[in-house]
Amino acid sequence: MSSRIRTDGPTPVIEPPVLDVRNYSMAYDTETGTTTALDDVSLMIWRGETHALVGESGSGKSTLAWAITRYMAENARDTGGAILLSGEDMIGKGRSELEALRGRRIAMVFQDPSSSLNPAMRLGEQLAEVLIRHRGMSHDEALRESEAALARTGIAKPAEMMQRYPHEASGGEKQRVVIATAFACNPELIIFDEPTTALDILTANQILDLFVQLREETGVAALYITHDLGLVARIAKTVSVIHKGKIVESGVLEDVFAAPAHPYTQKLLAALPRPEDRLALPAPQDPAPLFEARDVGVQYNAPGWLTRLLDKTAAPHWGARGISLDVRPGELVGIVGESGSGKSTIAKAATGLNPFEGEIRFDGRSFAAREAFDRPYRRDVQIIFQHPDSSLNPRETIGGILSRPLKLYNLAPRGEIAARVRELLEMVLLPADYATRYPHQLSGGEKQRVAIARAFAAEPRLVICDEITAALDVSVQAAVARLLIDLQRRSGAACIFITHDLNLIRQLAHRIVVFQRGALVDAFDVADAESPDRHPYTRALLDAVPVPHRPETPGLHMEPRT
Amino acid sequence: MRKILKSPTGLIGTLLLALVLFVTIFGPWITPYDPQAFDARARLEGPSLAHWLGTDQYGRDLLSRLLSGAPATVAFGLGATVLGVGVGSVIGVIAGVAGGRTDSVIMRVLDGMLAMPELLFTLLIVTFLGGGTTQAMLAVAVTFTPGMARISRSAVLSVRTREYVLAAQARGESGAWIVGREVLPNALGPIIVEATIRVSFAIMIGATLGFLGLGAQPPSTEWGLMVAEARQFMFRNPWCVAVPGLAIAVTALGFNLFGDALRDAFDPKRGH
Repeated sequence: MSSRIRTDGPTPVIEPPVLDVRNYSMAYDTETGTTTALDDVSLMIWRGETHALVGESGSGKSTLAWAITRYMAENARDTGGAILLSGEDMIGKGRSELEALRGRRIAMVFQDPSSSLNPAMRLGEQLAEVLIRHRGMSHDEALRESEAALARTGIAKPAEMMQRYPHEASGGEKQRVVIATAFACNPELIIFDEPTTALDILTANQILDLFVQLREETGVAALYITHDLGLVARIAKTVSVIHKGKIVESGVLEDVFAAPAHPYTQKLLAALPRPEDRLALPAPQDPAPLFEARDVGVQYNAPGWLTRLLDKTAAPHWGARGISLDVRPGELVGIVGESGSGKSTIAKAATGLNPFEGEIRFDGRSFAAREAFDRPYRRDVQIIFQHPDSSLNPRETIGGILSRPLKLYNLAPRGEIAARVRELLEMVLLPADYATRYPHQLSGGEKQRVAIARAFAAEPRLVICDEITAALDVSVQAAVARLLIDLQRRSGAACIFITHDLNLIRQLAHRIVVFQRGALVDAFDVADAESPDRHPYTRALLDAVPVPHRPETPGLHMEPRT
Repeated sequence: MRKILKSPTGLIGTLLLALVLFVTIFGPWITPYDPQAFDARARLEGPSLAHWLGTDQYGRDLLSRLLSGAPATVAFGLGATVLGVGVGSVIGVIAGVAGGRTDSVIMRVLDGMLAMPELLFTLLIVTFLGGGTTQAMLAVAVTFTPGMARISRSAVLSVRTREYVLAAQARGESGAWIVGREVLPNALGPIIVEATIRVSFAIMIGATLGFLGLGAQPPSTEWGLMVAEARQFMFRNPWCVAVPGLAIAVTALGFNLFGDALRDAFDPKRGH
């Protein structure tokens, strides 16, 4: 019943699926009772196919991956259904059977290549280990085979890479090694758990190309777990959308994206940032800048005199150098660039968290060092951080957190602070009774709203948002972005929005500046994003992300740009 | 607290600790005999109905001596820990918050102190200060200081770079406010836990010093001293060594298990 008939060959063949998950349910035993993690999940993957499993954090997508490989927590319990790998029941398998099977018949590629490789082993040895263990090769054979496997992943000098330790390779190279390891034993099924999330856009793109190429060559079946709907279209043929442990929709990718049936899928697709849906306020007319950075540089690890004496080559590392940019009142300027390009370094310099060189001008006043930032400046320039979990003090109530800027800058008389806190909570669309709660009682999106409210409580004139949506799920991310624009409209504050999501920033910003390796390489109005005189690096970044289109325009869904 | 009582370690630790604290507070009032009263006719006896835990070389009732010695012994452990932890964490917090050169200088000095074995270091200080309970307590406190400073410094360091601390800095908060409201409350957990575990070490070092004759002096009923005095009669009546020895062990175990459970309760990753 679960087999299908293949008709693309000369004669039709009956072909069973490689992975067949049938009505599988799983639960965790916890102190407070049983929590259902997966509920009646069914999916099938055939040879040569990639099935994408899309869901937000906590939806159970990784739980399913672990359940398939039978690598489960002690308090996990199967509560029904079956998991079949090429017709064999996985649930009943014993420990030694599973050990023989993992890596040989099922392989897994994880999100962060730097934590899935052993830092104390040479890359070549790690690859060879799998071959020795599962294919019974001798050490020399395995090394030769590993080199060939590495060469297939497009690493330029495989022999040299074999001799390196993980810290001597870049993130992209490491992920190539992990992928080579996964493909080494020609497994039937490979599970990819967000393999590109930890990588930069350009590197991620290359890894995706590599994945598609290797899949064509080997015909492996793949389960590709991701939260990124934009990426799915490039790699998968079929898709399942998982929400709270249940698969709410599944089918052929084009059909699901063109006509999503389930409200959750519709919500997810609607939440994708599309550059053509502009959220930004009308561009400010006032040409005089509010905030100006003139030739600002930040250096880390400046060597002391003794180090300089002993090592003549010791030099400071520049986090950013020669940055000049300005922001007009009410304007939203986007800063984009890969990780390590100096985006956050500049944000921290502008808020006095990093010492800097050069000059920062704000509203006609000039500051040459961070010590010169006084209370009025600090009040006018507020910063919001990336991680909602760590940006609120866990030992303070939400009310306490929000009242702090009011007290610090004397913005409300003592008796009216509670009322103002309620107002602030309502302003970010949170119930007023949240004032008595602690941060751990809130979800990630709610915490980020509180962080935003704390910044706007100071009635600032410039708000610096340092990747504030990066740690949030797609649907929450869209809501937070809208909230920010709404607050900007009400308060008239200017905003510097740091992000790596180009589609999002093209929705929000008036102008975009591009950072690369600590330098500002390009600055342009959003309308000119597609113009031919963009810097090559900007071009590369823009081309690397697929631009989603509205579901109403048929035939154009999620086409990668060429 | 409920979390602590749910784990077997926590439950046993709490029960032992409750017993020890009860004896410490009420011990001197419920002694059946005068702990210093000699009884020449009943020397080195084993447990009997008259003397539940037996008697020592002068015929003194062991149970009475044990009960009357509890406050001195436990107070020694607590006092030394409070002193050592207090001074140590202040130094650690200063080093962690100040960073840079201050941090380097403080930590290198403390590393030097840490390089010496704990007991040897204590002995050195006691020799310097002279014998006696107060001196011994000071010595143990000094020995504890570098370790505690290290622990509190690392706790502070892990909190100091959190984004809510950065947010407070960017807001322009004063240094004292940042340390007092943002950093310390979040760094206190590991310090308290470590302190609880260290009480047991302090009691054991105190007993050791008593045993070596460098801590409490006769006729004190401090437990370590009791073991030392009874040593030569061990073979004629093992009870007079075993009873105070066991009491020390139970107290140390109680504090230790309780501290372990406390650490587990504080660590969200260990809770399911």
